[in-house]
Amino acid sequence: MSTTIDKDDKDDKDDKEPIIHVRNVVKTFGNGVRALDGVSIDIGRREVVVVVGPSGSGKSTFLRCLNGLETADSGEIVIDGIPLDHNRKNRLEIRKEAGMVFQQFNLFPHMTVGRNIDLAQIRVRGASTEEARRNTCELLTKVGLEDRVDAYPAQLSGGQQQRVAIARALALRPRVMLFDEATSALDPEMIGEVLDVMRDLAREGMTMVVVTHEMGFAREVGDRAVFIDEGRFIEIGPAAEVFDNAKEERTREFLSKVL
Amino acid sequence: MRSRTLKRFFTHILRTPVPDVLGFVALLAALGLLFAYNTAALGYRWQWHRVLRFIFTIRDGGFVPGPLLTGLGVTLRVVAASLVLSILIALVTALFRLSRSLLAQTIARVYLEVIRNTPLIVQLFFTYFVVAPLVGMDGWTAAILALSLFEGAYASEIIRGGITSLPAGQWEAAYSTGLGRRDALRFVVLPQAFRRILPPLVGQAVSLIKDSALVSTIAIYDLTMSGQVIVARTFLAFEIWFVVALIYLVITVTLSASVSVLRHKLLGKYEYHY
Ligand SMILES: Nc1ncnc2c1ncn2[C@@H]1O[C@H](COP(=O)(O)OP(=O)(O)OP(=O)(O)O)[C@@H](O)[C@H]1O
Ligand SMILES: [Mg+2]
Repeated sequence: MSTTIDKDDKDDKDDKEPIIHVRNVVKTFGNGVRALDGVSIDIGRREVVVVVGPSGSGKSTFLRCLNGLETADSGEIVIDGIPLDHNRKNRLEIRKEAGMVFQQFNLFPHMTVGRNIDLAQIRVRGASTEEARRNTCELLTKVGLEDRVDAYPAQLSGGQQQRVAIARALALRPRVMLFDEATSALDPEMIGEVLDVMRDLAREGMTMVVVTHEMGFAREVGDRAVFIDEGRFIEIGPAAEVFDNAKEERTREFLSKVL
Repeated sequence: MRSRTLKRFFTHILRTPVPDVLGFVALLAALGLLFAYNTAALGYRWQWHRVLRFIFTIRDGGFVPGPLLTGLGVTLRVVAASLVLSILIALVTALFRLSRSLLAQTIARVYLEVIRNTPLIVQLFFTYFVVAPLVGMDGWTAAILALSLFEGAYASEIIRGGITSLPAGQWEAAYSTGLGRRDALRFVVLPQAFRRILPPLVGQAVSLIKDSALVSTIAIYDLTMSGQVIVARTFLAFEIWFVVALIYLVITVTLSASVSVLRHKLLGKYEYHY
């Protein structure tokens, strides 16, 4: 019974085929804002892609399109061979494949930590209560919170809540993890503990798309970096190159402001 | 230990409607005194000794409920049935209004507009005199149905408010963990909405109790109807209406107070905020 992100048992598809395929995705909101203006990227298995860009540039919208929280107007999104279209079943499948971590944690406040993580396992994967709880405890151990299984979210610090949220996102053993500014709502002294968990995940080979303002972390953990501005991918390249040696003037300008 | 329990008891009491009720009772007493004074001037002869037997009598050592208690029984039964039915109607209506189906939305909207823009008494008459004979419904059913439809409309708006006031992040988190819409509602949204809507829902239940007095107009022998009959026969208008009002007050206050005391149990231990 393996509950770590040991994905070998699941990796039946070609290793070289991208696990995330995004082609010309456009997303316009009702108010006319063009949040994504034709973005494309292919992300390989075990790759960590960090997404940086100014506020309002479309980072969250990009992540939310990837797991179907927003529906793109046009373009193509395929996650692990499943096309994200109007088919509801595909959408549910993709949500099982892609775990998401939010800036505001969004834990279910009326449930204990354990129950937060059990729920989807029981309802979506059809696990028994005991089975789910065993897996939950392993996930909590992984994020260093095995002793808080019966606590309520309100009894935890922000950093602990976010680590629970990561454990919850891992509960269905997704192949892709999406992080939307996972540390932006945290007090500075708690950022490290969350970044540590993310770093471990990356090391285990999880495919990750990470929106972050932690540039040091992005450069260290990212295989590739994407600079996004006004809904467009201005620059995509190896993380070290983008951060130290950006090709585009706008990227350099942005980085000089935040670094 | 003892003083802590006492202190907790008092903080509990302060959070319940008890202080309000005490104030209200004091006001009633003052009014009563004023009344007594004025009625004496009017020459009204108080005959409180005649009232008790309308509440209950002891016959052959046994307790025999009088017409007022029997009426109260009817009121409580009508209220209990309507409460259950109206919550069901309210929940379905709220979900209809929030659903993506245009048909469901329209049905809910029409129902809400009709109910909220006509008087309850007209709805009662319509149900009793028009609908009931057409479908062969008895008076009880008509009364319960009309009351439930009326209170259900208001309760549904309370429930809808409870659902929509939940931060979108909770839906999104539920969806992202792979839950479908139904599971998201059942395990994430409704349990939290319930915590928010319990207090206004209790207020709606109090309205239901008061509004139930109108069923006396369609020949249901509830508390109000019993009072009317007794007054017509005995002319004890002041005494009987005093007692009837007091009984209503006791049941509404008991309801609100017991819910606020039980709140903790109903809602779980942890309060939280966003
Ligand atoms: N639900 C929505 N309705 C209308 N406009 C929206 C909505 N969500 C986002 N937008 C707009 O789309 C654009 C991109 O927003 P998005 O949240 O993706 O930016 P972001 O890069 O995540 O910004 P931040 O760093 O502030 O989180 C912004 O102009 C925003 O105002
Ligand atoms: Mg954002």
